[in-house]
Amino acid sequence: MTLRGTLIFLLLVLPALALLAFGPRQAPHVPPDRTVVRYWEKWTGVEGAVMKRIVAEYNQTQGAEDGIWVEYLAVSNVDQRTLVAVAGGDPPDLAGLYDHIIAQFADRDALLPLDDLVQESGIDADAFKPAWWNIGVYNDRLYALPSTPYVIALYYNKRLFREAGLDPDRPPRTLAELDEYSRKLTRFEAGRIVQAGFIPAPKLLGWWHWVWLYFFGGNLWDGQQFTLDTPAGRAAHRWMYEQRVEMGLKQSVAFEANVGAVEGPLNPFLAERLAMVYQGPWVANWVRQYKPSLEYGVARFPADREDRHPVFVSSDVFVIPRGSRHPREAMRFLRYLLRQDVLERLCREHWKLSPFRTPSEDFFENHPIREHIRTLDALADSDDVFGYPRMPTWSEASVEMLFMIENIFQGHRPPDEALRETQAKIDAIVNEYQRMAALRRAAEATP
Amino acid sequence: MRRSRQLAGLLWTAPWWLGFLFFLAVPMAMSLYLSFCDYPLLQPPVFTGTQNYRQLAVDPVFHKVLGNTFIYAAGAIPLGTLVAVLLAVLLNRRVRGQGIFRTCIFVPTVVPVVATAVLWLWALNEQYGLLNQALGVAGIGGPAWLASPGWAMSSLILVSLWGVGSPVVIYLAGLQDVPEELYEAARLDGASPVRQFWHVTLPGISPVILFNVIIAIIGTWQIFALPYVMSNPGPERGTYFYTMYLYDNAYRFLKMGYASAMAWIQLVIILALTGLVFWVSRRMVHYRGA
Repeated sequence: MTLRGTLIFLLLVLPALALLAFGPRQAPHVPPDRTVVRYWEKWTGVEGAVMKRIVAEYNQTQGAEDGIWVEYLAVSNVDQRTLVAVAGGDPPDLAGLYDHIIAQFADRDALLPLDDLVQESGIDADAFKPAWWNIGVYNDRLYALPSTPYVIALYYNKRLFREAGLDPDRPPRTLAELDEYSRKLTRFEAGRIVQAGFIPAPKLLGWWHWVWLYFFGGNLWDGQQFTLDTPAGRAAHRWMYEQRVEMGLKQSVAFEANVGAVEGPLNPFLAERLAMVYQGPWVANWVRQYKPSLEYGVARFPADREDRHPVFVSSDVFVIPRGSRHPREAMRFLRYLLRQDVLERLCREHWKLSPFRTPSEDFFENHPIREHIRTLDALADSDDVFGYPRMPTWSEASVEMLFMIENIFQGHRPPDEALRETQAKIDAIVNEYQRMAALRRAAEATP
Repeated sequence: MRRSRQLAGLLWTAPWWLGFLFFLAVPMAMSLYLSFCDYPLLQPPVFTGTQNYRQLAVDPVFHKVLGNTFIYAAGAIPLGTLVAVLLAVLLNRRVRGQGIFRTCIFVPTVVPVVATAVLWLWALNEQYGLLNQALGVAGIGGPAWLASPGWAMSSLILVSLWGVGSPVVIYLAGLQDVPEELYEAARLDGASPVRQFWHVTLPGISPVILFNVIIAIIGTWQIFALPYVMSNPGPERGTYFYTMYLYDNAYRFLKMGYASAMAWIQLVIILALTGLVFWVSRRMVHYRGA
C-alpha cells in the first residue's frame, strides 16, 4: 500500500474507531447494585404509557428494596421477536405475549414453566378467577400469568332495537331469538343491505372467528384430536350459512366490503348500520372515540339452548422466556405487577376486566365502562368458559378455519363439505406435527 | 510490489467480502441445509432428507400461492412494462412543465408501501372508494374490488402500476441514449412517429427493457407488503402470494425448514425465469457496438 493509500485508510478508520471507543452513549440511569430485568411488551401509545408508569413506580419504590431495575421496551411483533431472541440465546427476562401462542411456544420449549417460581414468590393462584389463571396452563404446567383479560360478548344497539319494536333491555337469550331479532333489524334498499341485524363474518369479528361450535355444545380440541366435523360443528356452520343465505350471499359480501378498518367510524356497528356484534370490551373505547352518542347494551352471547352459557375468554399474558438471565428477579417484578391494586389499575386503564376472583369496588366504580363492567366480569364466572384450543399447531389450524368460513360464506362450499375438508386438512397438520415430534424425540435419543 | 497491490485490493474490498461471507454466503448455505431438516427455530434442526420438498409437491396451499404469484407476475410485468415505456416516451418529449410531469410520475414510488396500501384500500372500497364513486358518476356500479374473488387479483395488478415511476426513470435515461442520427435517418426515409417508435426507439432501449423486466420478475416473485396489508389472504386465498406463505411457515407456524425449502424453490424459479427471458430476448435485444 502506498503512503497516500495508508494515510487515507487511517483517516477513515481512526475516526470510526475513536467514535466506537469514545462516542456518545445512552446516559447510565440504572442505580448501582440493581439487577436489570429486561421486559418486552407489545403495548404502545396509551396502553404502553400506563405500563411505563407502573414500571417507573416499581423502579422507584419496590424495585429499590428488591434490588431490581426493570427496563421496559415496547416491541412490535413481540411474539416473533421473542421467539427469535430465544432461538438466538438472548431473550428478554420477561415478555408480554398473547394467550393463543402459549401452547405453541411451550411445546417448543420457548417458555419457562412458572409453577415453582410462582410458589416461591407467594403469588396466590386462588385470588384469581380460574378462567384467567388457567389460560396460562399447558399440559398441566403453568407457563403464563394473566395480564389484561377480556371476554367477547354481545353488544347491541338499543336505539335500533326500539325502532324495530324490540325491548332494548331484553337481549336475545337463544340463537333462535338472535335470528328472529336479526330478521327484524335487517333492512334492504334497492337490493342492498342498508342495516343488518347480526352477521358472524370474520371481518366483523377478530381473532375469534372460529368459536361458533361452542355455542352448540361443541369443543374444538379434545387434547389429542381436532374435533370440528362433529354434530355441534355441523350445526354451528349450517346455522351461519342459513342465516347468510337468508340475508343474501352477495348482499352480505357487499355489506362487509364497506367495513374498511374495524376500528374506525366506518365500523357498521359504530355507524349504526349493524345492530348486534360479537366483540370485546374495546368496543366501548371505539364508541367513546367515534360515536359517543351510541346507546348500547352488553350481554352474554346466546347459545342454541338457554341453559348453555359458553363464554370466550382470552387475555394478554406475562411469560418468562427460556434462557432468561434473571427469571427470579422477573418473577419478583411479576409479584408486584400481580398485586391487585397494581394489576387492576393496568386493566382498568386498558378498558379490560380484572383477573381477580373478587375485583375491588374501586375497580368497578372507576372503570371507564362502569355501566357494563360488572356484566362482563360476571360472564367470566360462567361454567362454560372456553379459551383458545391448547394445541401447538393452533396458528395453522386457525388459518384453515378462517378459509373454511370464508368458503362457506362466499357460497363456494356447502357447510358439511367444507367441514369435512377442513377437518382432514387440520388432521393432516396435527399428524404431521406428531410425526415430526416423534422423529425429533428419536433423533434426540440417539447418542 | 504486485503482492502488496493484491493485499491492498483485498484490504479495501474486505468489508464487502466479509459482508458477503457472513450475511449472504453462510446464511444461504445454512438455509440450504435447513431445507432438508425439520427446524422449528427453538429446537435443533433434525435432518429429514427431502421430506420438505416432497411435502411441498403435494401441498395444495403451495400450489395455490405458486399459481397466484405466476398470475400476478404474468399480469403485472407486461402491463407495468407497457405503461412505463409509454409514460417514458411521453415524458421524453420536450413540452412545457416536463419536470413537473416527471416528478408527478416518480413521487408515488417514494411513498412507503404500507401507506400506499392503505391509500388504495380506501380508493377501492366498494361504497366509499374513489374509483367506484367515479364509476358511479358514469352510471356504472363498481365491484367489491378487494372482497370479490374475481376482482381481488386484478385490483392488486392495477395497484402495482402505482410504483411505475422507478422503471420510467430508467427508461427515460435509456431513451436519451438512443442516437438522434437514427431518428433523423428514419425521418428522411419517411418513417411516421409510430414507425420510428417501433423501429428506432424500442430496439434502442431493448437492453433497458430487458433489465427492467428482470428486476420486475424478481420484484413480483417477492411481493409481500401490498397484499399483506390490502387483502391478506384474500377471498379463497386468491391474493395469497408465495412470500406470504413462506413468511407464515417460518414465523407463524415455526416451520423454518419448510420455509427454507420454499425459499430455494423460489430462487430456482427466479433464476429459471431470468434464464428464459435472456434466452427469448437474445434476438430481440440490440446492444450498440455489439
